[in-house]
Amino acid sequence: MEKLFNIDLKKIPYSNDKEVEDRKKNLELFLKGGFPNKKNENWKFSDLSLIISKNFKNITNNYDYKFDKKIEPINDFDHNKIILVNGSFKSCDFQFEERGKIKAERLKSFKDFENESKNDLDYLNKALSIGGFNLEVKQNYKCKKPIIIYNYFTTNLNNKIINNSNKIKLSQNSELTLIEYNICEKSKFIKNTYEKISIDKGAILKSIILQKTKNNGYFYKNISGIQDYNSSYQNFILSSGLKFSKIEIDIKLEKEKSSCYILSGINLSKDEHQEIKTQINHLAPNCKSYQKIKNVLENDSVGVYQGKIFVKDIAQKTDAYQLSKALILNDQAEFNAKPELEIYADDVKCSHGSTSGSIDEEAIHYLMTRGIKLIEAKKLLIKGFLNEIFDNVPEEKIRIFLEKSIAEQIDEIR
Amino acid sequence: MKSEELKNQDYKYGFTTEIENFQAPKGLSEKTIRFISEIKKEPKWMLDWRLKAFHRLKVLKEPNWQKPKYPKINYQDLYYYSAPKSMKDKPKSLDEVDPKLIETYNKLGIPLNEQKKLSGVAVDAVFDSVSVATTFKGELDKKGIIFCPISEAIQKHPDLVKKYLGSVIPISDHYFATLNSAVFTDGSFVYIPPNTRCPMELSTYFRINASETGQFERTLIIADKGSYVSYLEGCTAPMRDENQLHAANVELVALDDAEIKYSTVQNWYPGDKDGVGGIYNFVTKRGACRGKNSKISWTQVETGSAITWKYPSCILQGDNSVGEFYSIAITNNHQKADTGTKMIHLGKNTKSKIISKGISAGQADNTYRGLVDIGAKAKNSRNYTQCDSLLMGNKCGAHTVPYIRNKNSSSTVEHEATTSKINEDQLFYCNQRGLNQEEAVSLIVNGFCKEVLQQLPMEFAVEAQKLVSISLEGSVG
Repeated sequence: MEKLFNIDLKKIPYSNDKEVEDRKKNLELFLKGGFPNKKNENWKFSDLSLIISKNFKNITNNYDYKFDKKIEPINDFDHNKIILVNGSFKSCDFQFEERGKIKAERLKSFKDFENESKNDLDYLNKALSIGGFNLEVKQNYKCKKPIIIYNYFTTNLNNKIINNSNKIKLSQNSELTLIEYNICEKSKFIKNTYEKISIDKGAILKSIILQKTKNNGYFYKNISGIQDYNSSYQNFILSSGLKFSKIEIDIKLEKEKSSCYILSGINLSKDEHQEIKTQINHLAPNCKSYQKIKNVLENDSVGVYQGKIFVKDIAQKTDAYQLSKALILNDQAEFNAKPELEIYADDVKCSHGSTSGSIDEEAIHYLMTRGIKLIEAKKLLIKGFLNEIFDNVPEEKIRIFLEKSIAEQIDEIR
Repeated sequence: MKSEELKNQDYKYGFTTEIENFQAPKGLSEKTIRFISEIKKEPKWMLDWRLKAFHRLKVLKEPNWQKPKYPKINYQDLYYYSAPKSMKDKPKSLDEVDPKLIETYNKLGIPLNEQKKLSGVAVDAVFDSVSVATTFKGELDKKGIIFCPISEAIQKHPDLVKKYLGSVIPISDHYFATLNSAVFTDGSFVYIPPNTRCPMELSTYFRINASETGQFERTLIIADKGSYVSYLEGCTAPMRDENQLHAANVELVALDDAEIKYSTVQNWYPGDKDGVGGIYNFVTKRGACRGKNSKISWTQVETGSAITWKYPSCILQGDNSVGEFYSIAITNNHQKADTGTKMIHLGKNTKSKIISKGISAGQADNTYRGLVDIGAKAKNSRNYTQCDSLLMGNKCGAHTVPYIRNKNSSSTVEHEATTSKINEDQLFYCNQRGLNQEEAVSLIVNGFCKEVLQQLPMEFAVEAQKLVSISLEGSVG
C-alpha cells in the first residue's frame, strides 16, 4: 500500500535551522496521532482520518507553483484586496483607505502561536505553516471599504496539503469588514489554516467566508479570538461548495460588554461534509453571544454543528443564545448536532434550540396550488430558509452580492 | 411545609440497622462470583454467564468521560455480597422475617405488614444484597403475573430469564454494566402475561445497610403482548463517611402493544454538607420497545447520591413505539449529577419525548447529557426534547450536553434548553403574599418541576414533592 504521507520539511520556504528543528518536533507529534478520528470527542461526527484516507494518498507539501492567472475582481462593490496564492501572501491593495492606517504583510513570526496546540492538526500546522497574512488596523480607524481576501489555488494541487496561518489585529476603536473569498481549481487538496484574531477595546470586526464555486477542497480552519471591552465580532460562514470543511471557532470574551455573533447558512450536496464547531467563552460579566446555524442537506451530505457556550462564575448577566436548524431533503443525508451549555453563573440568560426535519409539505402544497412547480417551490422555500442569515449583513451591496451567490448555488438543486 | 420543619429535615433515612450480616469474602475474583452463585443455588448456566461477564470485565476499562470525577474505586476492597444472617434460610412468609428488618422498613415508611392489608402497592424489599420480602403474591399469582426476586426467577422461570436477561444490556456493554452482570446479587423480576393489566403498582424498595459493601441489583421487567405495568423504585442508605458504590442494571422489554411505566425516587445518602461520604449511583437502565405500538416511560426524581451517573434509555425498535423520559435532578452542597437519556429510533413512526429539569444549589454540578438518534429507516419519527436548568447561587454549575443525530428526511427533531435563576419578580410576588423566602422557593421549584411530578403515581408524587423541598433546604439566602 502506498504511504499516506510524503512530507519534506526542506521544501518550506524561508526557514532557518532553529525553525526547522521546531517544525520537526511538531511533525513528529502530528505523525504520532495522525489525522483525528471519531474516537476523539471533538471529531465524533466528522471522522477526518477516514475521509482523508479514502480520498488521498501520498500527501506532499510541495509548494512549487506558477501563478499567472489574471485576477478577476468582484465588481459588485468597491473593496480593498489582499491576494493569497495557495495560502501564502502575494500582494495587497488598500486603494480606498488612508495611508498607514492598515498594515498587511506576509506573516513571518509564529511565536505568538506557541503553546496553543489543541489537536493534532495544530501540530501539523506548526510543522508546515508557510505563513499567510498579518493584518493590522490602527487605532480609531474605521475602514471605509471592506477588504476581500482573494484566496487563489492553482491547478496542480492534487494530493497536496497546504498549511498556513493568519493574524488579524483590530486596535482600539477600529472597524473592518473582511471577506474571505476562496477560488479553487479542480484539484483535490487539503488546507489547514490557523487564524488568530484579537479585537481591542471598542473595535468591530465583521468577517464573511465564501466559496466562489464548488470544488474539491478539504479545508480545516481553526479560528482563535480574544475580545476586549465593548468589542464586537460578527462572523458569517457561507462556505458551501467544499468536499469537506470544518471551521472551529474559539472566542474568549475577556472583558465586559463584548459581543460575538456567529451566523451560518450552508447548503450541502453530493459527497459534502461540513462541520461548524464553536466554543464561546464568557469570561466577564455583561457579554453577549448569538449563534445561528442553518443547514440545507441534499443527497448524501452530512452537516454537523457542535456548539458550546461556557459561562464562568463571574460572568453574570450573560446573554447567550444558540440555534441550529437543518432541512433534510434526502434520506441519505444526515444532520448531527451537539449544542452544549456549561454554566457556572446564576444570573444569566442562556438558551439553545436545535431542530432538524424535512421541508414543510404544507408550504409546498400552498405554493403549488398557486401554480408554482414543485422544484421551484422547493427552491423558494430553501432560499427563504437561508436568506434569514443575510438579513444581519448591514451593507446592502454586500448583502445583495451574497444573496446572488447563494441563489446560484440553490439553482443547482435538482 | 413550614421552614422550621424544613430545617429539621436532614437526611432522615441516615440511620443504620444493627443486624448481623453474612458476607462474602472481600474482593472481586472468580472465587467471589462462584461464592455468590453457590449461595444462591444457581444453575450452571447462570454461573457461566456471570463468569463470562467477569472475564470480559478484565479487558474493559472504567469509563472516564463523565463530568463528575471521583477517586479511584478499589474494587478489591469491597464486599460483593452481604445479607442479613436471618435471611440465610429464606423465610416463607412475612411472619418469619427478622422483626428488626420489618422495623427498619417501617421507619422508612414502608410498612410491609400494612401494605398487605391496604390495597394498592405490591412491594419487594431489597436489603443490602438480598430480597427480604415480597407482598401481595397471591393476588398477582391469580393473574399469572410473576413478581419475585430475580434469584427466585432464575430457579423457577429459567426459560424467561435465559431469554431476556442481558438482551437489552449485553454482558459486554460497559464497565459498570459488566461488573453488575458478574456479581449481581438480587433484584426484582416481573413478567406480565399477554393482555393483562397489572392491577396494582409494583414497587421495590432498595436499602444499603452494611458498610464497605457495593450494591449490585438487577431488575428485569417483561411486558408481554398487550400488557401494562407500572413499577416504582425507591432507595435509601445510612449516613456513612465512606463512599459506597451502587451499580445496578435495569432491563425492560415491551412486546407488541405493551406499556411499561418505570418510576424512580432516588434518595440515596448524598453525603454531608462538605461532600464527605454518600453513594456513587452508577446505574444502567435501558428499555427495549421490541414490539409494535409498545411504550416505555421513565420517570425519575433524583435527589440523593454523592454522584448520580445514569442514562435511562429507550431503544425504539417496534414500529409506532413510544419512548418517554421525565426527569428531575436536584443537586445541593457537593452533590454531582450527570444524567439524561438516550432515545434510539429504529422503527418507523417512533416517537420520543424528553423533559428534563435540573436544579443546582450550593457547590453542586448538574449535567444533562442525552442522545437522540434517528436511524435512516426510522421514517416519520419525532422527538421533542426540553431541558431546563435552574441555578441557585454562583458556586454551582448547570450544563447541557445533548447529542442529536438525524439520518432521514421525514423525521423531525426538536430540542430546547434554557438556563436561568429563580425569577426575582415571582419571589417578590410570593413574599408579598406572606410566604417566606424558603416557602416561596419551594413553591416555585415545585412549579418548575410540575411537568415531571405529575407523571408520578400518586403514592410517589407526594413523597417526591416533599423531597424536592427538603433537598434544597438551606440553599436560599
